[in-house]
Order: sequence, then C-alpha cells, then structure tokens
Amino acid sequence: MRDKAIRRFLGFFLLISAVLVVVAVLAVRNINRSADTSDWVNHTHEVILEAEGLRSALYAADGSWHTYMLTGDARDLSACRAALSNVDDLLEITEALTRNEPAQHEKFVQLRSLLGGRMEFIQQAVAARQGGKMETVRNLVSQDQAGTAMRDIEKKIDALKNEELGLLTQRDSASYLQAQATRCTVWTGVAVDMLLLGGVAWLIRDDIGARRRAVAALQVDNDRLEARVAERTAELVSANSRLTMENLERQWSNKALEHQLRYNHLIVDSISDLVIVVTKAMRISRLNPAVTHLTGLEAPALIDEPLSKIVRLLPAPGGADAPLLDPLAAALREGRDLRDQPASLEDVRGRGTKVRLNLFPLRDRDKVIGGVVTVHTGDAPGGAGR
Amino acid sequence: MKKYILIVDDEADIRALLLEFLAASGYRVAGATSAAEALQSVREDKPDLVITDLQLEEADGLQMVSRLKVALPDTPVILLTGVLFDHDVVHGVLNKKVDCYLEKTSSLKQILEAIQRLLGQPGPA
Repeated sequence: MRDKAIRRFLGFFLLISAVLVVVAVLAVRNINRSADTSDWVNHTHEVILEAEGLRSALYAADGSWHTYMLTGDARDLSACRAALSNVDDLLEITEALTRNEPAQHEKFVQLRSLLGGRMEFIQQAVAARQGGKMETVRNLVSQDQAGTAMRDIEKKIDALKNEELGLLTQRDSASYLQAQATRCTVWTGVAVDMLLLGGVAWLIRDDIGARRRAVAALQVDNDRLEARVAERTAELVSANSRLTMENLERQWSNKALEHQLRYNHLIVDSISDLVIVVTKAMRISRLNPAVTHLTGLEAPALIDEPLSKIVRLLPAPGGADAPLLDPLAAALREGRDLRDQPASLEDVRGRGTKVRLNLFPLRDRDKVIGGVVTVHTGDAPGGAGR
Repeated sequence: MKKYILIVDDEADIRALLLEFLAASGYRVAGATSAAEALQSVREDKPDLVITDLQLEEADGLQMVSRLKVALPDTPVILLTGVLFDHDVVHGVLNKKVDCYLEKTSSLKQILEAIQRLLGQPGPA
C-alpha cells in the first residue's frame, strides 16, 4: 500500500516537473521571439526616423542652396555644404539599416539614385554661383521651378516610410501575439500544475485516510487479540489451577492410601496369632511375621506353597480318618467360615503343635477370591505330634 | 484478610500436601511436626483453625486438642485419622472432643468444605 502511494506521488511530481519544464522552455522561446520582434520594431522605428531625418536634411539642403543662390554669402554656402554632408551621413545610415531587408533596400537604392541626382544638381548650381556664372544659375533655378525632383524624392521617402509603418504594424502584432502566447503558456502551465498539486493533495489526503483506517483496524484487531489472549490466559490459569488442585488431590489420595495400607500392615503384623492369606487353590499368598516366628520358615519358603505344608486340620474326635484339608477347601469353595477348628502346625523341623484354626473366605463384590486363615496357639491342647 | 490455619502432622509428605493445597485455596498456613511445636505456635500466633493428625510421635493428637482447647476454646479443630474399623462408633466419640473428624482417605475437597463450614465461609478467604 505504501509503495503504491509513493509510486503515485512520484508520478504526480514527475508530471508537475515535466509541465514546469515545458512551460519554462516555451516561455523562454517566446521571450526570445518577443525580444527578436522587439528588435525588429526598434529597427523599423529607426528606419522611419532616419527616413524622416533624411527628408528634413534634404529640405534644409534645398533651402540653403536657394539662399546661397540669392545671397552668394559664404555663410550660406557653408550651411548648404553642411546640409549636403548631413544628407550623405543619413543616406549611409539608412542604407545600413535597410541592408538586411531586400524589398526596403531596393526602394532605398531608387531613393539614393534620386537623391544623388538632386545633390549633383545642387552642387552644379553652387559651383556656378561660386564661379559668378549668373546666367547658368538662372537657368538651373528656372529648371527647378516645377520642383518635380523634390516631389519624386518625397514620394520615395513616403513610400519607404509607409512600408516601414506597415512592417511596424505587422511586427507589433507579432510581438503582441507572442506576449499573449507566453502569457497563455505560463497560465496554462500554472493551471495544470495547480490541478496536479490538487491531485497530489487529494492523494495525500486519501493516503492519510487509508492509513488512519488501517491504524484503526489494526487497533481493533489488537484489542480483539488482547481480549482473546486475556481470555485464553484466564482459561489457562484456571485450567492450571484446576490441574494443580487435581494433582494435589491425586497425591493426597495416594498418600492416604499408603498411610492406610501401612497402618493395616502394622495391625496385621502386630498380631501374635498366625495370619495366612491363601488363594482359592489353598496356596499361601501372604503371611504375617508370627508364622515365621512359630514355624521357623521364612516367607520366601512359604509363598505359593500349599497351606498343608505348615498347617492341617485334625480329625474331629471320633470321626473317620478322612483327608485332612478337604474341609478347608470345601468351605472356601462354598464361601463358608470355619471357626475354631482343631489343627496341627508344623515347624521347619517337622514338629507338630496343636492349634485352633479359623478360615474366613475373602469376598470381592460377592465373589470369593481367596481366604484368610488365622491360627491361634494360646488355648489349644499342647503336645507335639499328631 | 486471609484466614490462618495451623496444620499439625509428623508425616512430612502429608503436612506438605495440606500446606500446599490450603495455600493454593487462599489461606495463610503454617505447619507443626509435634504437639509441643503446635502448642507453642498457637500461643505465638493464634490460628483461626487447627488441623491435626490423631497419632503424633510425642503425644496423642486428642491430648494436644484438649490442651489447645484450654488455651483457645473458640478455635475450631479438625482431627485427621486413618480408617478406623468401627466408623460410626468412633465418629460419635471423636466428634464430641473435636469440631470435626475426618479420615485421611477423605478427599482434599471434603477437607476444604469442612474448613469452610467451620470458618463460616462460603468459599476460601
């Protein structure tokens, strides 16, 4: 987005610069043309001025030779020569001014020819007067009575001047048009640049607006994100707290069970009667220290051994000599207790001790999974052997 | 202000668990390993509630409760014990001597509920 805006700004500035350059080039070219035209106008004015000067100098020379003819005075002669010299000077200047204008120059050549003739005529008259040839002087003056030569010269000067005035009008008009063109170019350039600057201002405004909208949208997104993060953090804190509590609860439960188990073991182990846990197959699975104490057999030597290895039921007085352990197995299978049964406990040396035996089936959800045999030695009839 | 609870148990694991749980539940807690230490702590900084094990190394928990009740008759006491065989009978007897009797197999949540009930709180302080 930023790159696009920068490209657009650069494009506009390049356009503005291009317009400025074009306007400057056109303006300079028009100013140069205007300067040229102005030079031509000045030149035309100069030509007109010189033509008028020529006319005046010619009249002065014409008047002075007439005066000299009448007076013969040396001062009038001097004035006449000065006037003729002035005409020569003005002729040279006018020739120089019209040299680069072929049409004008042609007219000038004709004028110079006429003036040359006139000045030659004046000099003839002056020479005749100086020589005292009054008859010749009278003839020359009478020849000039009609003034034809002067009228021709004047017509040529008028024609030259009128032509120059026409050129002056034409060049003035060209100068005016160039000034107008320059003005128009400059104002057009300024207007186009203003339009382009207006475009740049609009672009900047649009860009700022877009950036503000983007910032606002970003802020909204940030707020939303922060809210979600806060919400999620709260959820995580809550979940962590819950997990911590659950973990503590689990540890507490384990410790409580360990404690209870140890306590139960202590109770069982502290009993002086023999406590033997048997499987449903009447094999020993657990026993308390009293068993080792009375039989001299360590637990590893008794675990998974048949109960009959250390204890057997004695036949009931007056009863048949039936298999001794069957009543225990049968009671366990049927889930019955057997209490206070006479039995014989055999130690590691094979010596028998008369004891009283109890059998309690172990039930787990009404299912017999084994049994507990307790053997009491205290009030059993003593004596070794069966 | 957080309620102050004193936990008396000679088993370090049990005591540490209870301390951590009750601290996480928003209580100010302290532990004591023996009856003597507990009684000294009670004298120095009166707790709002005492939780004690029944079987302590140097003295019976109930004896300690009797001495504690002399010093702080209004301070509620919770007695923790292992599982006893004749629950109903023992429960009746123990409840006459302490404000609440709980087996250690009770959950922490049950212990917390008992604390809140004895402190008259709807939840942790």
